[in-house]
Amino acid sequence: MEGRPTDDAELFARAQRGETAAYEEIVQRYQQMAFRTAYVITGSAADAEDATQEAFVKAYRALAGFRAGAEPRPWLLRIVANEARNRVRSSGRRQSVELRLAGSFRPGGAAPSPEAAAVAAEDTKRLLGFVSELSEEDRLVIANRYFLELSGEETAAALGIPEGTVKSRLSRALSRLRARVEGASNA
Amino acid sequence: MPELIEMEQRLSRLGDELEWPATPNLAPAVRLRIATRRPRLDRRWVMAAAAAILVLAAIAAYPPSRDAIASWINLHTFFRTVPHLATPTPLPSGPLGRRLGLGEQTTLAEARAGVRWPLLVPASLGQPDEVYVQPPTDRPSGGEVTLVYAGRPGLPAAGETGVGVLITEARGAINSEYFGKMIGPDTTIEPVTVAGSSGYWVAGAPHVFVFVDSSGQIRYETLRLATNTLLIDVGGTVVRIEGNLTKAQALQIAASLA
Repeated sequence: MEGRPTDDAELFARAQRGETAAYEEIVQRYQQMAFRTAYVITGSAADAEDATQEAFVKAYRALAGFRAGAEPRPWLLRIVANEARNRVRSSGRRQSVELRLAGSFRPGGAAPSPEAAAVAAEDTKRLLGFVSELSEEDRLVIANRYFLELSGEETAAALGIPEGTVKSRLSRALSRLRARVEGASNA
Repeated sequence: MPELIEMEQRLSRLGDELEWPATPNLAPAVRLRIATRRPRLDRRWVMAAAAAILVLAAIAAYPPSRDAIASWINLHTFFRTVPHLATPTPLPSGPLGRRLGLGEQTTLAEARAGVRWPLLVPASLGQPDEVYVQPPTDRPSGGEVTLVYAGRPGLPAAGETGVGVLITEARGAINSEYFGKMIGPDTTIEPVTVAGSSGYWVAGAPHVFVFVDSSGQIRYETLRLATNTLLIDVGGTVVRIEGNLTKAQALQIAASLA
């Protein structure tokens, strides 16, 4: 959990009173989560930027509807994801997000041997390859829950589905992923 | 299942190793847009944004034209007449409640328990297919409930909403407004009386409909086209009946409210 110098509730209350500085801080605080969520949906950084910007403007105008004490992340994610999906729909093209490993890839654990590091790196690359082969629905739920580290409620908001459906989708997606991983290692 | 837990852990670690495009700093652009309230004209959205600007311009150009017709009955609705009715931006996708800004889905029993007025259901349509509730903190001080009826023979689903009939009921302080209507030249407004309740029949060309939040601000994200609508004040509850309805059908539904 990152440090939160000002409480979310206080920031939202100030923004609701019309303090644009407070809203700017909300944008700063949540733009990475919002942008990456939009990127997973649109598959394009430019579309994700447009969608996120639009979503923050819409969220500002809808601030009066934000209930005091509510969780801001699902509320914002719902608006961001709607905007991202609108963009995909209106552009008429569906670009699947292409996830890549960072260049500075270092497997977990301190200073592994070069051989162990190479094996771990290969494993991770293969796992990402298997995730990429899954259906769009499976990939989205996995990316939201594990790659973006969203909670169940936040994943539900980002996907526009009930939280119970997130659980069942996740469990099916994990089983299918596991079957692919095992199928490959037994082959 | 330990295998799945292990898979979850591997995926979380994988997430840490992914390369993401750099997050742009959106705060300056958002600040500018909030200050100017001008939709951004990105290439793909030029048409939609232009339409939205037309609507916004129409609102700005006609501020005093709030019609007095709704003042003596409690319709909680402002009407504005605009010279050109623009097409709003497309509705957001997702479940109906979100798409149309109706609130959270619930059951009829829970909705009844959650509001202080006797919730009215039209006997002629029977039980609604879906029910939504908007808490008082968001909109009307007394709450707001929407009954949704899917399209059926004789009541086809309307292109504007995707459903057969929408019935929204709301209650709050007198003279507060929760609904807004922007009416173009091809839409007619006619006073009506149904079973002792007064109201208006808004028909003809689709009009722009929007929800207003509890502080009186227009909620732009709910701006959408609405088809024929009957608005009536039933003992202090504003009832809004919208659908591809004839006036006779709308009046019949209203008369069967109980």
